[in-house]
Amino acid sequence: MGGVESHLYQLSQRLIQRGHKVIIITHSYGNRTGIRYLTNGLKVYYVPHMVIYSEATLPTIYGFFPIFRNIVLREKIDIVHGHQAFSSLCHEAILHARTMGMKACFTDHSLFGFADASSILTNKLLKFSLSDIDHVICVSHTSKENTVLRAALNPRIVSVIPNAVVASQFKPDPGAQDQNSITIVVASRLVYRKGMDLLVAAIPRICQNHAKVRFIIGGDGPKRIDLEQMREKYLLHDRIELLGPVMQHEVKNVLTKGQIFLNTSLTEAFCIGIVEAACCGLLVVSTKVGGVPEVLPRHMIIFAKPEEDDLVNAVSKAIKMIRLKEVVPTKFHDEIKEMYSWVNVACRTEKVYDTIWQMKTPPLMERLRRYYGCGVWAGKIFCVLVAIDYLIWMFLEWVAPREDIEIAPAFPYQKYRKMCQMAEKDEDDN
Amino acid sequence: MANISINFCPADGYQFRADEGICIHCGFNRANKVLAQNHNVNNKNPWRKLLWVKQEYPDNHVDSSFLEELQKNANLRTYDYWTVVMESGVISQHISSIVIFIAVFIYLYLDMLSAQNLIVIGTIFTSIGYIFWDLSILKTDPSYEYTRRQTAKGAILFFATLLGLSPILKTLTKDTSSDTIWALTVILFLANMLFHDYGSGNRTNIKFPGSLSTNAAIFASVLLASRLPSNSHVFGLMSFAVEWFALFPIFRRYTKSLSANFNVALTCLLFFLATALFLRISKAIVILYIFGNTFITFCCPFWLIWIQKYKNEIHGPWDEARPKLQHTRSAADE
Repeated sequence: MGGVESHLYQLSQRLIQRGHKVIIITHSYGNRTGIRYLTNGLKVYYVPHMVIYSEATLPTIYGFFPIFRNIVLREKIDIVHGHQAFSSLCHEAILHARTMGMKACFTDHSLFGFADASSILTNKLLKFSLSDIDHVICVSHTSKENTVLRAALNPRIVSVIPNAVVASQFKPDPGAQDQNSITIVVASRLVYRKGMDLLVAAIPRICQNHAKVRFIIGGDGPKRIDLEQMREKYLLHDRIELLGPVMQHEVKNVLTKGQIFLNTSLTEAFCIGIVEAACCGLLVVSTKVGGVPEVLPRHMIIFAKPEEDDLVNAVSKAIKMIRLKEVVPTKFHDEIKEMYSWVNVACRTEKVYDTIWQMKTPPLMERLRRYYGCGVWAGKIFCVLVAIDYLIWMFLEWVAPREDIEIAPAFPYQKYRKMCQMAEKDEDDN
Repeated sequence: MANISINFCPADGYQFRADEGICIHCGFNRANKVLAQNHNVNNKNPWRKLLWVKQEYPDNHVDSSFLEELQKNANLRTYDYWTVVMESGVISQHISSIVIFIAVFIYLYLDMLSAQNLIVIGTIFTSIGYIFWDLSILKTDPSYEYTRRQTAKGAILFFATLLGLSPILKTLTKDTSSDTIWALTVILFLANMLFHDYGSGNRTNIKFPGSLSTNAAIFASVLLASRLPSNSHVFGLMSFAVEWFALFPIFRRYTKSLSANFNVALTCLLFFLATALFLRISKAIVILYIFGNTFITFCCPFWLIWIQKYKNEIHGPWDEARPKLQHTRSAADE
């Protein structure tokens, strides 16, 4: 489970607790298809969709419309909230939702440059689906600046709502730490964007400078071979532990083993990893990129430039601080608990929903005008796409009238919760 | 008002201890802030670009510092017109060399130039070029002397093979109609022109720069060779093609690094040679060639400089950082 998925799950849970009805629409994962209920009656629709590569779907623009319309009508949906700029399903859902006169909102979880071909293409796509959006949520101020530039948005309709952690899942555990040495934990996907080249270069130097330092590296990815080769070359088998892929619920156990958390990302919109680490009572050393400087207060984090020398210096500084007990990272937990909570995120998201709920739905003409302004050529193409979408909607209304669509019975949230409480009570009694 | 106490440093979030007055990270004075705050009309703390702190601003607040770190055209290079004109010489040189090659082929094809003459001229110029190259390399790298023998051996072997292959090359595409050959040749020479390595950077690590372009040119010459009447013609054209498309660009690149004046002279020489050779073939092509070259040399640089005002490159904290590694150090260790 990555940052986006846990964000979706946690946010939905809090919104349900606050008395909203939440359903999630995603594409099918292997044999996980159809409709499923998660904790507290969170309903998830796994739409059959062709997956082309690493859980990404083929953009079909209109292929998804009939089933989407059916779902939102039977669930009586008012607001569609899309996540992640990479997801074609999200862009399609926003387009169809706007065509059907619903409110739409979008959360951006990642940062993009402006230089390479893939980001130019995604930016154009983003501009298309965000031309007619009610509100956008970004996870950090840097991400907001980035999204505003990419999609040429009015910054007033972009809110910054950070991610959060479930603090109770990330409690410090001083007993798990090795008292004889200082353990540095790295937990991320082992890919280029996470700065693995820096890590490979820095670890031997850190090990050389500090005799009593161990590394625990969790995660998997193409750069794992580089790490293994480094370990082999410098004979550091006893000091570097490569855990391979780590499950979400095991992350905490890995984190609590260390005193220092090292993040070497080259780009990061928010970086939930460092928040989780600080929450577990680790001193964080991180590269100063993207939204990272906004995330943690200065006494919890030591910044380094994305350079080998500076990173080695920063880690040495952190080791010194831990050794001399200049910081007591286990106290971080209570501070983090106050800073990042999902309840807070849900409240702020609710505010966004309230504002967009009061906005007027623009007529088709106004929507076309907005899309037309996207660019000399793109504007015209976008207008055609939107017009066709409108026609398909009209056709669907004629083929499958609204009245004929069966309304799904509402999940009895109240009753469910009461039963859960009773079950807990029973267990306690037994 | 007096009881406002600042527990965290607003600049970096350092938590003050009860007795501390100054932030240890940035030297922020806690006492000053209380005073400053009293002067603040709205009595609001200034907005801070931080996520962990709860602020009195709405989530969609747009601060005056919004997009402060945006950099526009950070690595913009302003070009000087005449420098660009000089630099464009490499392109006109290459176009001229293609035109000259085609002219040489037409001369051979129309029997205006004998194969023997071409071979002799080619050999003479290649030898002169090699001696020149040899002498100037020797100045910088004396160990080069020992490779001479090998070069000579390689050259003899190569041209002997080429001579042996000439009858095969001659008949290789003989059955293909002339129209196809001309059309393919045009495409291949265009490919040669487009993929040629015009760069002037250091390429000590690359043994054969622009191999696609060289291959296209050699393939084109093989196609053209099939239209020639005799084996000696084929050998002449092929050896000339190898000298002209594989060796000559190396020479040109080398002279460019030696002296700018010499390079300009070479550009002019090639230009006049191409014009002179084509004058006897077609006046229209000469005019087209002159116009094209003038456009590339004088109009395109102006165009490039003019279009630069539309350059809009943005950089900011969201860009993927480039990791800086100490490669030199680690190389020394090994």
